[in-house]
Parts: sequence; C-alpha cells; structure tokens
Amino acid sequence: MNTVLWIVFLPILLFVIGTFMLGYSRKYVARIERRYGPPIQQVFYDIFKLMSKKTNISHGWMHDFAILMLLGGTLLTMYFVPVPGFHFFAQYGDMLVIMYILLIPALGMALGVGETANPNGSIGISRALMMLAGYDIPFVLTFIGFAMINHTTSMYELIQVQQAGGFAGWGLISQPLLGIAALIALQGMLGEKPFEVMVAPHEIATGPMTEMGGKFLGIMMIQHAISIVVELTIYINLFLGGAVNWFDYLLKLFILFTALISVNAVFGRFRTDDAVRFMWKIPLPLAIIGILFIIF
Amino acid sequence: MSIVSNLLLLTLLGVLLNVIFYKSEVVQKYISLIIFAILTYLSIVMYPLVGSHFEIPFLIAGQHIGFTITYLNYYFALMITGITLLTVIFSLKFIKGKEGNTHYYTVLFLKTFGMLGVILSSDLLTFFVFWEIMSWSTFALMSTGGEPAHRSAFKYFVFAVTASMILMAGVILSYSLFGSFDFAVIHGKMASLSLPMTGFLLTIFITSFSIESAVFPVHSWLPDGYSNTFTTFTAYLSGISTRIGIYGIILFLFGVFGIQTVDKLGIIGKINFRYVFGIFAALTMIVPTFTALYQHDAKKLIAWHSVGQGGYMLIGLASGSALGIAGGMFHVLNHMAYVVLIVFAIASVEYRTGTTNLNKLGGLIKKMPVSYLALLFGIIGLAGLPPMNGFVSKWFIYRALILGGYPFLAIAAVIGTLGTILSVYKLIHNMFLGQLPERYNDVKEVGFSMQLPMWILMIVVLGLGVYPGLAMGLIAKIQVSLGLAAVPYALHGIKAASGQLDMLVVSAVFIGGIAVTWIIYLLGNRRKHVGQYNNYAGGNFLNKSVAYNFNYEFYAALEHVIDPYRKKIIERTERGIASVTDAVSEYIRRIYTGMINTYGIYVVTAFVVTIIILKELI
Repeated sequence: MNTVLWIVFLPILLFVIGTFMLGYSRKYVARIERRYGPPIQQVFYDIFKLMSKKTNISHGWMHDFAILMLLGGTLLTMYFVPVPGFHFFAQYGDMLVIMYILLIPALGMALGVGETANPNGSIGISRALMMLAGYDIPFVLTFIGFAMINHTTSMYELIQVQQAGGFAGWGLISQPLLGIAALIALQGMLGEKPFEVMVAPHEIATGPMTEMGGKFLGIMMIQHAISIVVELTIYINLFLGGAVNWFDYLLKLFILFTALISVNAVFGRFRTDDAVRFMWKIPLPLAIIGILFIIF
Repeated sequence: MSIVSNLLLLTLLGVLLNVIFYKSEVVQKYISLIIFAILTYLSIVMYPLVGSHFEIPFLIAGQHIGFTITYLNYYFALMITGITLLTVIFSLKFIKGKEGNTHYYTVLFLKTFGMLGVILSSDLLTFFVFWEIMSWSTFALMSTGGEPAHRSAFKYFVFAVTASMILMAGVILSYSLFGSFDFAVIHGKMASLSLPMTGFLLTIFITSFSIESAVFPVHSWLPDGYSNTFTTFTAYLSGISTRIGIYGIILFLFGVFGIQTVDKLGIIGKINFRYVFGIFAALTMIVPTFTALYQHDAKKLIAWHSVGQGGYMLIGLASGSALGIAGGMFHVLNHMAYVVLIVFAIASVEYRTGTTNLNKLGGLIKKMPVSYLALLFGIIGLAGLPPMNGFVSKWFIYRALILGGYPFLAIAAVIGTLGTILSVYKLIHNMFLGQLPERYNDVKEVGFSMQLPMWILMIVVLGLGVYPGLAMGLIAKIQVSLGLAAVPYALHGIKAASGQLDMLVVSAVFIGGIAVTWIIYLLGNRRKHVGQYNNYAGGNFLNKSVAYNFNYEFYAALEHVIDPYRKKIIERTERGIASVTDAVSEYIRRIYTGMINTYGIYVVTAFVVTIIILKELI
C-alpha cells in the first residue's frame, strides 16, 4: 500500500520540487546579474500556459512519440533512483541500469527533433551527443571506481555503505578525486554553463527546442524539472551519503544545486570541442588517478 | 548420424542444385528457400541428440571424420540456419535482376556448409578441413558485387590464408604433442603439457581465430570486405560469419584447453593470458567504434561496428567469470539479431533509393516507416539501451568487469558504448530523419517478403531484451557442459545477491511512464501535422529548392578533438606495422632469386638437412 502511494505521488512531488528549483535558479541568477527576476513560481505559469496553447504543431508520428519517450524515460529513471523512504525498484535494477535508462529520454528527444527537419535542432542534438561522450566517460568511471571498492553495483547498497560510515563514509570524503570528477561531469550532465552547448540560444536558436511548441514544449519543461532532481539525486546517492530523511534530502539538493548554478551564473559558454576537451582533460584524469589510488 | 549427415548433405545438395539451375533465378530461390527451411527445422529438432557423437565411415589419413552435438554447437547451429533462412527470405526480392547474382545462393550454401562443418566437428582435422571450406566461401561471398568487392576480397584472402597457415601449424603441433586430433582426447591430456608449451599452443590457436573474428590489429580486412559486397551478404557476414571465430575461441579457451589451464598462464602479478587478451578486446571495442563515426556510408559504418561489437564478446570471455562468459556468448546471439536487422533496414533503403551514402539520404521516415522502425529497434539494441537485447548482454559484461576488478576494461566498454550511440544516431538521422530530398518523393515502403524478416528480427530483439531467460537457459547449459559455473538466471533477468536485473519490471515501468505521459499529452489541445517546409528558418521562407538539412560532418567538433590522437597513435602504429611487414616480406622475397643455380643449391641443402635429421631420428 505504501509502495503504491509512493509510486503515485513521487512524480508529482519531484515535479513540484524541480519546478521550484528551476524558479529559484532563475531568481538566483537574476539577483547575481542585479535584475529583479521572475517570481519563483514562474515555471508553473509557463508550463500551464504552454499546455493550454491552442495550436500544437508536430512534424510526424516520431515527433509525437518522442515526447512520450522523453518524459516516460525520465519517469522510468526516477523510479529506479532511491529517495529517502522509497527504494522499491532498486531491487530490480542497479546503477548500471540507471546509467543506461538515463539515455532513453535523450534518445527519444534526439529522434523527435530529427524528424522536425530543422538543422538547428539537428546541430543541437549533435552537440548534445558529443557532450554526452564528454561527460559520461568520467562520470561512469567514477561510479565504476566507487562500485569496485564496495563490491556492489546496487545504488541502494552504496547508500547504505556510506551511511554506515557516517560523515567520513561519504563518497566525496572517502574518495575525493572521484567525487570532484563526478561533480564536474554533473555540471555537463545538467547542461549548465559552461557546458550549455546543446541549447545555446544565441547560436542555434535553442537547438532541440526550435520546432517544439505548445504542449510539446510544456512536456519538455516538466521533464526538465524532474530530470534535474533525478540527476542531482544520483550524485547525492553516490557521493553525498544518500539522504537519511526528506529534510536531509532537500537540504542536500538545495546546497548542491546552488553550488552548480553559481558556477552557471558567472561562466560563458565553451565551444563544443573545448567543452569535450575540458571534460577529457580535467575530470577524466582525476577519475583515473582516483581509481589508481583504489587499485594500489 | 542421421541429422548431422542430413544437415551437411542437404547443404551440399543445395550447392549442387544451384549449380545445375544456375540459369534460372526463380528455381534457385525456391530451392534455396525450401532447403534452408528444412535445415532450420532440422537444427531445431537436433536438441534431443545433444551429447551424441557420429563418425563418417571412411578414414582420412587414418582418422575418422567425426562430428558431435554439444550445447555449444547446437546454439551456433541454430543461429547459422536461422539467420541464413531470414537472409534468403529477404534476398528473394532484393537480389532480383542484380548484376552478378548467378551464384548468389550457391556461395551462400557453400558458406553454410563450411560453417556447419566447423561448428559440428569433433576433432581438429575435420575442424581444419571445414575451416578451409568456410574461408574460401567467405572469399567467394565477398568478391560478388563488382570491382571494389574483388579488391577488398583479396585483402581478406591474404588474412585468411595467414590464419589458415597458423591454424594448420597449431593442428600439426598438437597432433605431434598429443598423438590425436580428437578434442576430448586433447582436453584429457592437456594437464600433462608444460606451461610454456600450453601457452604457445593456445597463442597459435587464438591468433588464428582472432584474425577470423577481426580483433583489433588484424581487423583491417573486414570493413571493406563486408561493405563492398551485396548488402544482404553484409548482413549475413557481420551477423554470423565473423562469429565463427568467436566460436573457435570459446571452444579452445573453455572446451579444449579449459579455463583452469588458461588461468595458470600468468605473466606478471594480475596480468595473465586472459588479461592480455582482454586488452586486445578493449582496443577492438574502442578504435573501430570511433572509426565508425567518420564513415559516410551506412554499410561501412555498420561493418566497423561489427568489428567493435566483437570486442564486447571477447572481453566478456576474457573476464573469466560466469557472468562475463555468459554475457559474451549471449552477445553473439544479440549482435546477430540486431546487426542483421540494421543491415536489412539499410538494404531496404538501398533497394528503394539505390544508395547507402549517408550524405545523400534523409527524411525517409515519412516514406518507409517499417524500415525506420526496424532500424530504430536495431540501433537501440546496438547502442545497448534498455529494453532491447543488446543492453542485457552488455549489462552482464559491465558487471562482470566491475566486480571482477577490471576498471579499465570496464571503462573501455563504456567508451565503446558511447561511441556506438553517437554513430548510430548519425546513421538513423542521416537516413530517415531530417529533410526529405525532392528526388525521393515517390519512394515506397518495401514489400512483404522484405518486411517479414525485419518483423521477425524486431520481435527477437525486443523479446530477448525483455525475456533474456529464453536464451540464458541454453547458455547456462553450455557453461555447465564446458565445466564453468552457470549464471543464476531467471526468465526476465538475473538473480544475484547484489544488484539484480529484471528486464520485465524495467520495461513495464517504461511503458507505465509512457502511458502517464500520454495522459498528460492528451490534456493539451489536439496537435496538427505540418510539412517539412513549414519550419523555423530565422524569418526566411523555405521551399523545395532550399536544402535545409544538417547531416554532412555530423560530429565535426568531436572529430576535431579525436583527430590528433587518431593521427598520432593509430595511424603511426599502422604505418609501423606496414613497414615492418614490408621489410620482412622483402627479405623473404629475396629467397626467390629467379636463377636456376640458386634453386639448385636450395634443393641440395634441403636434401642434406633432411638426411641428417632422418639419421638423427632413426
């Protein structure tokens, strides 16, 4: 019964958290830039407006289905990532499963955007995939190292191992090199500056979103809100000792997110090749050195 | 006796009938269809005979020609006959009226004959004889399809002859060591062999099979050879032909030598024979996969992936754990299913548009939705994303590598997967997505006989992804029969102490997620489909004469990053190997001076040396 309630309310809960986080991020960046910024619930208004648009333009059935694959894949990932009090699905799929179901929404979007036949969209996808090759290699490497020390690939067990060790047991404290490498990779995964090459409004007219409008864009925003929370939760679970209760969880989410958007607020955008090169020159060697420490 | 000889005789009958009726394409195709259907049926009903041994009642050099049915070769026989049947069904329309198709089915039968012989043989001599038949028919398959095919088939020929010579050296050496050709006898006497000799013998066999399965430094024959021939042959060759090399490796590593013997072959510390093998496998995953990114031809792109995916199978076998070996074997089946599916989709596009050039196609999703769906299923499998089959076997391999303590081999697997995702998106985008060129406006979907194999393979790719237990049952039996630990499998995944996998739950949650999204989607107003010229163009107007597409140099920025490494490491190494081979060949060539008195001296020397050796022996 409890599980059913979680299954029903978890998406709604994470959606609300994610939307407020996006609103908070807009406000936070605005204050840094000495603007007033939109109200914190602005993202809700945007989604509501987009969902109730009268005309919704689509370029074909893959375009329609892509949007289902996008949010569907994100919901799938969300259920497999443990949050405090809910880890029912952790027994059916480990961190490796999560690593690869994380790519389903990206693939869905890529296919849909491809069908819109807009070169800006295609360039955005090409950039997103190249960026994926950049950040995913160090990120997965840190996970491999962390899983190897603890002899498990289950995310839930990794949380328990960390919590048993107290504060010193946190991944970031016990394996600082891996933790830092994953943190930089996380910035790329969230697509925040300086790794915001995929959207790049001034260069490619928001890339994948160019031909997305109305309810399509609305669902993309819902997905964005949930996926940000899920990706941050993965980092919290792997390197910040998971979360004991919801207060702990929200606090960690808030601190981590603030740290990342602070970087986002003061940086410009890398060129795509520089972004990939950065990922392979800084976090990747860090992760490799971290693993060499584990082996020897 | 009956089924094995029936299988082999039927394929020979197929060769014969096709040679007789070489003028009539219609007769050829129905004969082939019927015989391959019977062959598939026979290999399915072979199951109760597993464990039996047959001999053909005449002797060659005092040796019986022996065949045996084990779980391992049952698995491979099923794959061979099944995929050949699908290839034949697909070919019925595809090769109609194509130039050089006279001997299409003949070489297909010959190749199947060779492969079935190799996998069913129970001794080294039979194995070698059929291996030769198989190599020659591969050469014949590759050389159909015009001048470029001849050239690239010749490249294969050089490699295949080298591989055969190495294999022959291994066969002779093991006969002189063990006094028998029989696999079981050799396996029994293996423990008495000294370790350096075991290592030497194993290296000989593995080198030979590595050439056939295109492991990294000796892979260069494959991409050209596979992509210049008929597209259906590309499917057939990359689906099953290369994997006979993997069969050889499985058989010799675990069946003939045995994992205990192989594990004794240590070099330094943790670095042992398997580990070195794993490093080659890792290079096979990374280098060809990233080479695939640069390709502009769909067939060539897939041919490079066919090299790269072999690395996954090998690295799974090299991991040495039950999970890894199961992953490696399972990946052979999975790879066959999705790669053939992908190439069939490419062949359909080629059939309708006449090209596989990725820079010239685009937007075909509107015209060929079934082929698009086939390619989509195939690339999700190839990229290894849930819920398709490729994910499951790759999951086994990643997990075996991580828990076995091989982090760098594991990361090689991950790098390979990322490279795969990138290049397969380029493949599907440039063919089916983006702008549809005007010249393809009246392209139609392919007919039923070409769709049917694609639908079957789509079901296989998805079915094995959601219910991996269907194949894992057989694989677990193979593992037990080879003296390995079996994987604790369930119908939809793996039951392990930590971090299980249940593909049914993953797929169900995914479908649930899609359903929820669909409800949200329906809450909005109805969507309207618009044409491709109704598009954002920065305020400009689009029409038929405007090319509004992005597909040329799809990953320019990434190529910019990789290029220096590629030039420095790969090209320099290849040039180095080439110049060494050149120099050695030049020395060998000098033996043939072309002067009669030099040859006379050779003959006399050889005679004297032989007499001395004979005297020593007697």
